[in-house]
Amino acid sequence: MTGPSGAFPDPGHPRPDPPVSSPTAPLPPGWAGPAASHAPGTPLPPHTPAAPPPRRVSRPTVVLAVVLAAVLVTCGLVGWRLWTTTQAWEETAADWESLARTHGEQLAQTEAELEATTGELEATRAQLATAQARITELADEKAQLGDTTAAQQQLADYQQRVSQAAGQVATALANCIDGQERLIGYLQDAASYAEADLARFRADVERVCGAATDANAALQSELSR
Amino acid sequence: MRSARTVATVALLGLVTACAYLPDPPAPVPTSVVPSVAPVPTAAADGSQLSPDGFDAAQRMAVRIRNIGCGALSTGSGFALDEHTLVTNRHVVADSAELQLSTYDGRDVAAEAASTAGLADLAVVRTVDALPAAPVLADTDPQVGDPVTVVGYPLGRQLTVTDGRVVGAVTDPLHANLGEVLVTDAPVEPGSSGSAALDAEGRVIGVVYAKNADDMSFLVPVSTLRAMLGDDTAFAPAPTCG
Repeated sequence: MTGPSGAFPDPGHPRPDPPVSSPTAPLPPGWAGPAASHAPGTPLPPHTPAAPPPRRVSRPTVVLAVVLAAVLVTCGLVGWRLWTTTQAWEETAADWESLARTHGEQLAQTEAELEATTGELEATRAQLATAQARITELADEKAQLGDTTAAQQQLADYQQRVSQAAGQVATALANCIDGQERLIGYLQDAASYAEADLARFRADVERVCGAATDANAALQSELSR
Repeated sequence: MRSARTVATVALLGLVTACAYLPDPPAPVPTSVVPSVAPVPTAAADGSQLSPDGFDAAQRMAVRIRNIGCGALSTGSGFALDEHTLVTNRHVVADSAELQLSTYDGRDVAAEAASTAGLADLAVVRTVDALPAAPVLADTDPQVGDPVTVVGYPLGRQLTVTDGRVVGAVTDPLHANLGEVLVTDAPVEPGSSGSAALDAEGRVIGVVYAKNADDMSFLVPVSTLRAMLGDDTAFAPAPTCG
């Protein structure tokens, strides 16, 4: 935007003071003004210019000068303060950058160590899973062996009972047969023995044979289990 | 002159005011910005519980039971109730001449005495050696649709963990338990009897005791287990064949 134009004074340029002239005698008629040179024959009084009055500095000028000085001083102080503060911030920023780089290096190292540790952890987890599976398998194998052992022990116990029962049957049958043979011999020569003794011997043989029958029943019972 | 002084004063005040609005010099840079107390990272939310050997609590509490009877041999499952007590089914320990126990890692645990409940297919076995771990009993029975995890030894083989859901509650079809029993679709096999049935938090919600032809498993609910454990007269010495 431009300023006003035309007849308005330019505020940016101080108006010049009007020219100061000394008073002169009135001009005679026909004279249009002073001539470029004096006419000869009429001496003129010597022209002595009056001394100009002393220029006084206006009050607004003084105020403006003081304000300008104060502003310059203020700007100088503020500028110095800004400069020192900027310097301090630059130093601090450099220190922070150094600290950040240090921590960055530490972070990078830590991340690398973490990655390595994570890898080791994964490997350890895999080993643990394998170990757990193996432990479970071994526990199962041990349990199956225990079951087999228990079953075989039961079978051995059964066979032992059967064998024992068979042995008892065999012994009882042998005793029975022996008694019956002796009883037959006694009966063939019955006149040589008392009848009461023969009857008692017959009862003994029947008891032995009864025991053999019981042993055989026990054996059959054991075999049927 | 007075106005000049005033102007100077104003300028000085302006300077002071301007300086007040200027940024302060920076604070000294610390030697380290690493916090002395680092926040503790939270544990991974995979539900795994730390243990001395990596096995979780559900596996560590499981016990394999070998019932050596008179001319018969059978196996079943059980779980620790405390350090020297385990819970299983009555039919797992009945008519035994000897009970042999082993843990998840194959260690043998000597059994001391077994007691069976009269009104439920439950039994408790006292052990001489300490059991590895014991679970927590749930406060209430599960609802239909709740997840269930069964930990046991199906067919007397490896320790197995199977999952399913509670299907419903019915009157015991085997008439071995007083009151209702739970039905789940968690797969079980002979040998799983006495297995602990766990909820999502690892608490015991029942004891497996049977299955049907439709592969549905039956549980003695934890409420019945609590009632039996709370009754001093509920358990009697287990019958033996010896």
